[in-house]
Amino acid sequence: MIKYILAALIIGVTAGYLVSYSGNADAGSWAVDYLFNGSLLVLLFAMGLSFGLEKEAMHKLRQTGLRILVVPFAVVLGSILGGLVGGLILRLDLSASMAVTAGYGWYTLDGPMVGQVFGAEWGAMGFAVNFIRELLTIVTITLMVKIGKYAPIASGGATTMDTTLPVIVRYCGPDALITAFSSGFTLSLLAPFSIIAVSTLGRALLSLMPL
Amino acid sequence: MMINFAILVVPLVAGILVGYALRKRWHANLNKATLAIVMVLIFSLGFSIGSNDDVLSSLPRVGWNALFIASLAIVFSIALVELARKKVKLA
Repeated sequence: MIKYILAALIIGVTAGYLVSYSGNADAGSWAVDYLFNGSLLVLLFAMGLSFGLEKEAMHKLRQTGLRILVVPFAVVLGSILGGLVGGLILRLDLSASMAVTAGYGWYTLDGPMVGQVFGAEWGAMGFAVNFIRELLTIVTITLMVKIGKYAPIASGGATTMDTTLPVIVRYCGPDALITAFSSGFTLSLLAPFSIIAVSTLGRALLSLMPL
Repeated sequence: MMINFAILVVPLVAGILVGYALRKRWHANLNKATLAIVMVLIFSLGFSIGSNDDVLSSLPRVGWNALFIASLAIVFSIALVELARKKVKLA
């Protein structure tokens, strides 16, 4: 299963590169946008369907209730902490390195936003860190489920409501569906706000500290 | 591509409701049926990365630092989620 996923990913990256290299980027991305959205809608319906068909899954969801929200908030703290520690070790601008990880894997949001505040070099970092996060989640998923059932959900961040969701459901089981989707949804909502908060507050706080 | 993400709730909830309504009459394993669609989704994810010049050109400039920071964000997220999960006794 993971072999097929990795093959599809590699073929996709290669095809995307070749098509844009040959100058047909607009036509290609237009078609792939439809493919992406169409397949995502069908998958979400199908995953919802299998979830609803299962008696235990619905029962479990009722038992869990709002406690499910501790997952995305732990991811917020963990991601920003990761940015802070990474910035300290690499001796980078700390508010910028935190703003980069506050995208939670949403690279098309984080890259441009961080680029606007901290310049093009940091924008490139925002793109790279977040799409690497998305890729690592898919590529290492078989290892991550061994760490814990929620590890792939924590790793996927904001992407667990769309791109990484079908892979997570396959490896973590059908009852991971709502945890993953609600975590990804909450993180997608929070991402723009936390990027702004971390860049502005981080700057203000750091300017107060006599470092 | 993902700006209107809130709309994704609609097919998910619709699926759950239909499945819940049919749960006594129908048993299905959709895993195999959806495998092909998962491939299409992952292919188009790869395609949008491969055709995104901003993303590809960022790699040679910031690659190793980015990999390091991304890994830290992942490790800390997993650690805190596992911790929180035990604290609130999430199954």
